[in-house]
Amino acid sequence: MATYTRNNAWNNGGTFDNHDLLWYAKGVAAMMALPLDNPNSWWFFAAIHGEEIALTAFPGWGFLPSPPAVPTTPLPAQNVKTTYWNQCQHQSWYFPPWHRGYLIALESEIRAAVIKAGGPATWALPYWNYFGPNNQYQIPPAFTVRTLPDGTPNPLFVTARYGPNSDGNIFIPIPPVSQACMNNDLYTGTDAATPRPGFGGPKTGFSHGGRTSGNLESNPHNQVHVDVGGNAPTGSDYGLMSDPGIAALDPIFYIHHANIDRMWAAWNAAGHANPTDPKWLNGPAASGGRKFIMPMAVGAAFPNPWVYTPSDVNSLSKLNYTYDNLVPAVKATPAANLLTQRLTRLGAALAAPAPAGVPMDSGDNSELVGAHQGALSITSSGARATVKLDGVVRKKVAASLTAASVAHPPDHAYLQLENVRGTQDAHKLSVYINEHLAGTVGLFGLRTASLQDGPHGGEGLTFELDITPIIDALHLANGLDVDSLDVRIVPNHAIAAGTSLTVGRVSIYRQSF
Amino acid sequence: MPGNARRSIGVRAPILFISAIAWMMLLVNPGSMIALIHCPVTTSWASPMSFKMLVEMNPLSSLAEGWALMLVAMMAPTLTAPVRYILERSFKRRRARSVALFFIGYGAVWMVAGAVLLSTELLLSLLAPRSLLPAIMVGVVAFVWQCAPAKQRCLNRGHNHYALAAFGLDADLDVFRFGMKHGVWCVGSCWALMLFPMLLPVGHFAGMAAVTFQVVSERLEQPRPPDWRLRGPVKLVRILVQQARMGIQGTITGSAVLPTALNPRR
Ligand SMILES: [Cu+2]
Repeated sequence: MATYTRNNAWNNGGTFDNHDLLWYAKGVAAMMALPLDNPNSWWFFAAIHGEEIALTAFPGWGFLPSPPAVPTTPLPAQNVKTTYWNQCQHQSWYFPPWHRGYLIALESEIRAAVIKAGGPATWALPYWNYFGPNNQYQIPPAFTVRTLPDGTPNPLFVTARYGPNSDGNIFIPIPPVSQACMNNDLYTGTDAATPRPGFGGPKTGFSHGGRTSGNLESNPHNQVHVDVGGNAPTGSDYGLMSDPGIAALDPIFYIHHANIDRMWAAWNAAGHANPTDPKWLNGPAASGGRKFIMPMAVGAAFPNPWVYTPSDVNSLSKLNYTYDNLVPAVKATPAANLLTQRLTRLGAALAAPAPAGVPMDSGDNSELVGAHQGALSITSSGARATVKLDGVVRKKVAASLTAASVAHPPDHAYLQLENVRGTQDAHKLSVYINEHLAGTVGLFGLRTASLQDGPHGGEGLTFELDITPIIDALHLANGLDVDSLDVRIVPNHAIAAGTSLTVGRVSIYRQSF
Repeated sequence: MPGNARRSIGVRAPILFISAIAWMMLLVNPGSMIALIHCPVTTSWASPMSFKMLVEMNPLSSLAEGWALMLVAMMAPTLTAPVRYILERSFKRRRARSVALFFIGYGAVWMVAGAVLLSTELLLSLLAPRSLLPAIMVGVVAFVWQCAPAKQRCLNRGHNHYALAAFGLDADLDVFRFGMKHGVWCVGSCWALMLFPMLLPVGHFAGMAAVTFQVVSERLEQPRPPDWRLRGPVKLVRILVQQARMGIQGTITGSAVLPTALNPRR
């Protein structure tokens, strides 16, 4: 039995009657009282995720609305900064394990403060399960009240948290936020149950921002970030949670990530395997990249600092904690059943259903089918693109769908928004193909990915939507034998004047098996 | 195990192969290297006469050839990321052509840069024939550039990949332009390093190898804010050390070790 159990933040109505939240608030206050250069401080921890301390305008840390009153001095030594700060792993198969270690470390700091204040020695981070019943899609009320029960300021309250409608009402719209990723059966890779790039993310090196998010990271993680943060009602500023360089300043960050961590654990509990590739297990440091390293509170069951690899955190039992609930809300449909269903829909004559087997990555054999020529600028009213299809490749897709069988599974199809660049992360884009909703993406990480001195020299983000069902439907309605498809991109709220949002190319890919 | 993927488009092996061939050609026929062939006349004093002789002994075509060979040997290993990107984003039947156009754009920029760098070399070797002085001077310039924020800016821009049109002339122009832009940032970050081994009176080959090691290493590094700093081949050294360590472990445990280096992602 694990010593520490993380419980639902909505227990006792999500107010300070939930003592997990009350002690969390006290711990946060204690950490906030420490200076920026103290590795145990709230500010240092936020900087471990990502920081914009040097920026001379919003979202520079000196230009954020208070509370919290974010310090920009005293800075730690340069080597401390390069060792600890700006570590968070995104658009990578290291996303789940890096954040797991990060939570463990933050939790140890809070727990130390809780114990010091006379609280329970087994205190653990609560999680916000926005997929829970009733009104759990709303932020737990303890985060929105101004004061603690004793009348002191509530450190869980932050000003820059605006919600999906930019009006301060914080909730998670479900849909488009979903737990569809829980149906994946591959951590990295693709099969009938798993769209690219897999549940946990694409194979990368150390990736402090990259190209394409994994399925858990993309939805719900990224969307929840920009839904909670949102845009300021006026002007072009946005909420802390909307941008990785300021996100971990908001105490809701860790409660959100505890839920993402719980989803990963639940996914494992449902029998899905983590990578066994040594490059994942040993982490980026084993390939010459930076190491994952965290400050640890005095008295924690970990050394300080704690240097860890994914293999140190790939199961909860190694870390002596668990969740009160690891049962996935939706029972996953096995890949073989999904393939059988799809083949039946496509009218394939099946002698027998597809045999169940060990999930296998079918490899990345993909090919461009068509693209929109020229960049698109997204305005408040959206943008429209004509995605011209290549005749030869289009016929390959049609042939694959027509002749599909268990031995020759039908193509998957993806829509890509490539080289998406912009100055503001706090948007979601819904993408329609011939007026069928293909999916929604949150632009978390966009600003950093667009910086010329950012992780990819300003190449921007690439979003990938699984449009296989739409292509199937078009094929069955004889609608695939066309020169082009109509793609409409609609932002969830107005694009403020003075901010830019462009898509370098809209493209469609087939993936053959 | 899950994740035993069919490899995505193989890029690294063919590129390293091409680079290896160029290195071999340079080794087998060192005359094709840029190290200038001097004669007693040109070593004494600078004069229009000796310049003429120098040029006659190093005809432009052979200079260009040698330079191109050097480029292939030293720069090809740094091009896996953009080549993979182009392959992924082009129609299958256009892939070869797109990559070729990228190389042409990239090569064109470097050949122009070569004309300038080689003229500098000719001039310097004329003014101070068989002397270490030009190498030392350029070495100092290369060192300062190596530490400068501008160098970091060039390195960072080299990580950028641009949206590419898929169809027709636009597609051709986009990859060509991508090659040129990539070439510009590549020249920007490497020009001084490339000039240095060319001026070494001896140890030319070792100098080239050292510069290649540095260039490959710094491209594997993540972009970072431009500032003054010493930029050594830390990343590649770290990778090789880790490889060696894992190789030893692999031998002990009997498990196969995959060659991982030279590619930061995937
Ligand atoms: Cu996050």
